[in-house]
Amino acid sequence: MQSDINQNPDLAGSPGATTGAGRTMTGGKAMLSVQGLKKVYQTDGGPVEAVRNLTFDLRAGELACLVGPSGSGKTTLLKCISGLMAPTEGEVLLDGTKVTGPPKKMAVVFQEYGRSLFPWMRVRENVELPLKNQGMPKAERDRLVDEALEAVGLSHVPLSYPWQLSGGMQQRVAIARAVAYQPEVLLMDEPFAAVDAQTRADLEDLIRTVWKKLGVTVLFVTHDIDESVYLGERVIILSSSPTVVQEDLIIDLPAERDQLNTRALPRFTELRHHVYEQIQLAKTGHRPAAASH
Amino acid sequence: MRIAKSFLYVLGLPALLVLIWWLSTLGATSFFVPTPGTLASTFAKTWFGDRIFTDVLPSILRLLAGVSAAIILGILAGLLIGSIPWLRALTEPVLEFFRAVPPPVLVPVLMLLMGISDSMKVVVIISGCIWPVLLNTIEGVRAIDGVLSDSAHTYGIGGWARVRYLVLPSAGPQILAGVRQCLSIGLILMVISEMFASSSGLGFTIVQFQRSFAVPEMWSGIVILGLIGVAMSFIFQFTERRILRWYYGLREVENAV
Amino acid sequence: MTKRTLGLAGILGFLLTWELIPRLGLVEARFLPPASEVLAALAVDFQLTAFWAAVGETLLAWVLGLAAAVLLAVAAGFVVGSSHFLRRFTNSTVEFLRPIPSVALIPLAVLLFGVKIESSLMLIIYASFWQIFIQVLYGVADVDNVAMQTARSFGLRTVARVRYVVFPTALPYLMTGVRLAASVALILAITAELVIGSPGLGREIALAQSGGAISGMYALIVATGLIGVLINLLMRFIERKTLSWHSSIRSEVIV
Repeated sequence: MQSDINQNPDLAGSPGATTGAGRTMTGGKAMLSVQGLKKVYQTDGGPVEAVRNLTFDLRAGELACLVGPSGSGKTTLLKCISGLMAPTEGEVLLDGTKVTGPPKKMAVVFQEYGRSLFPWMRVRENVELPLKNQGMPKAERDRLVDEALEAVGLSHVPLSYPWQLSGGMQQRVAIARAVAYQPEVLLMDEPFAAVDAQTRADLEDLIRTVWKKLGVTVLFVTHDIDESVYLGERVIILSSSPTVVQEDLIIDLPAERDQLNTRALPRFTELRHHVYEQIQLAKTGHRPAAASH
Repeated sequence: MRIAKSFLYVLGLPALLVLIWWLSTLGATSFFVPTPGTLASTFAKTWFGDRIFTDVLPSILRLLAGVSAAIILGILAGLLIGSIPWLRALTEPVLEFFRAVPPPVLVPVLMLLMGISDSMKVVVIISGCIWPVLLNTIEGVRAIDGVLSDSAHTYGIGGWARVRYLVLPSAGPQILAGVRQCLSIGLILMVISEMFASSSGLGFTIVQFQRSFAVPEMWSGIVILGLIGVAMSFIFQFTERRILRWYYGLREVENAV
Repeated sequence: MTKRTLGLAGILGFLLTWELIPRLGLVEARFLPPASEVLAALAVDFQLTAFWAAVGETLLAWVLGLAAAVLLAVAAGFVVGSSHFLRRFTNSTVEFLRPIPSVALIPLAVLLFGVKIESSLMLIIYASFWQIFIQVLYGVADVDNVAMQTARSFGLRTVARVRYVVFPTALPYLMTGVRLAASVALILAITAELVIGSPGLGREIALAQSGGAISGMYALIVATGLIGVLINLLMRFIERKTLSWHSSIRSEVIV
């Protein structure tokens, strides 16, 4: 099962199961490239190695999910990629340029929607602020904000404050803010972990729609196995901490997905099963052979 | 009907208290407590004349000058100290000490350093009421939510825009709590600086009345200080409600859960 | 460098600056003596009975005034706070009386009590009362409806409900009020001594100033600052001890 899904002409290198690295691409074709990333925190109790050695590339326009057991350094990785934190070793390249601070072409959606929106600004002002800060003319700003709110289905609440909305709607505002920013790469850090199941399904479909419409590269971090398989074109499974890539799996499900039919496909079940097994292995401390020393 | 009811709620107790006061001063004439009528007429006679321009307004102007300077300086310094961790650690114990010094003791010090003048009284007010604003601003800046700060950072919001859109609003509730303390300390210092070192102003005048045993006039002075305090408190609350509308809404939502 | 060393460096830097300002002649030493002289004067003070007597008098006024304010404010706060009618009925009066600066009462205090400790007490109690009273009102109003209904459904009577539901809810607010009132009470104690001349550190400061003992005056001011710091530390300690179970889940009410 594994061998047939690991063949992809675009990708060089070998899958993670043997090397501890994800797929990489030749000739600088990657939109986002994580190379030998390592992060060690200096704490009072001595150094703690959160991420050991992470390598993988994302093609332009790809939607990849990153799953791993809890405490596998997902958030650390995301902070390094988004330029909020400097890695101890290795580097992150965005469209060939090394990331040293938050890059302009990148937007991040955080899990804590309640804490990532400005509570003193109305919905519309929240979405507009990054554009205003760039000095974009008012007319263009208005158009982008309208489109973004329309895309996430929130055209009717521009004058509400975020905290007057439900959790799912607040996360839509955060997504709208990211969309209006017109990023080339969209990072999402467990964005739906704190919303209820029904809202979650809606938001997953929203992400697929937005992704297809904008052609943006998405890296979606989640701890939910179903979600990763349903959403991703590719699932990168992380080992437990100190983190390496446990496996880099291509999700060969049809591009048109819907909550009922896709999840009922036998292939969905197979992939889900496979990811589940790998995560269980990772939890017990199993590591890819080449990375275990 | 509802308006009448809330009218009763607002005026009921004050009316009752005035009535009790009136009844209890009806028979005997107490040296210490004037009747409501005497107080009202004394109040009008004492304050609605030249004193407005010689005592009341100058006092209020000094208070406003001192308090606004303290608020501006406190917020600016607080933003600076609060955003630089090593500077905060360096200054924290010294600032805690200055906050703990009871502000009225600054009056003799500044009298010594600056002599008795208007600017000395303004400096007394500034140096006494800057601390709550300063320390609250530092604390408010320090306590900015990490996720919110990361969000602003990833969207390239830095420098002045960060202060304008993230730091100031986020620290707003804390800063305004400091401003409230600043206002009441400022009023205290206005009065004391005039009682201690002055030949005009509200504080001086009221003490003069007391020394010459002009009891109704003294009471009218207490009333005018009270009115200034109440007016400041109302203006502050009005402004705070407007600035922090989002904050009270958010708290209400949080509390309802 | 750790936080503690930086803080220590800050204190040393402050003392050094203070030392240098008069030494370099930026301000005349007869107006601002160098830090070393003031600290020496403070060290001398520490050996004088008169100094400790003054400290004792200030602290006595502080503790008596604060205790009386706590008792009055808790009693009034619980009574008014637990009745919706009383809360609304007293609201306008409270909002009118609270902002009156307690120093406005100084002439009245002098007239009634002269330079006795009662003058200090009157100002301290008036100022501290409102700080605590308002916090208690918030605290009693904050009682969780579900908790109250639970208590009722288990048949707890009024006294038991106050004891087990209302009081624990209001306690953190009360402690906040007491902490705020503690520093206000010190300010008013010193003020009364300074302006009216009731016995204590404040009067000593006024005497030192008019007597030209400038180092002594600064030493006494430093002493009041140290007392203020100690009171703050003490109050925070008490607050932490009594609220170890939930001080973290609640943020301070802004009043």
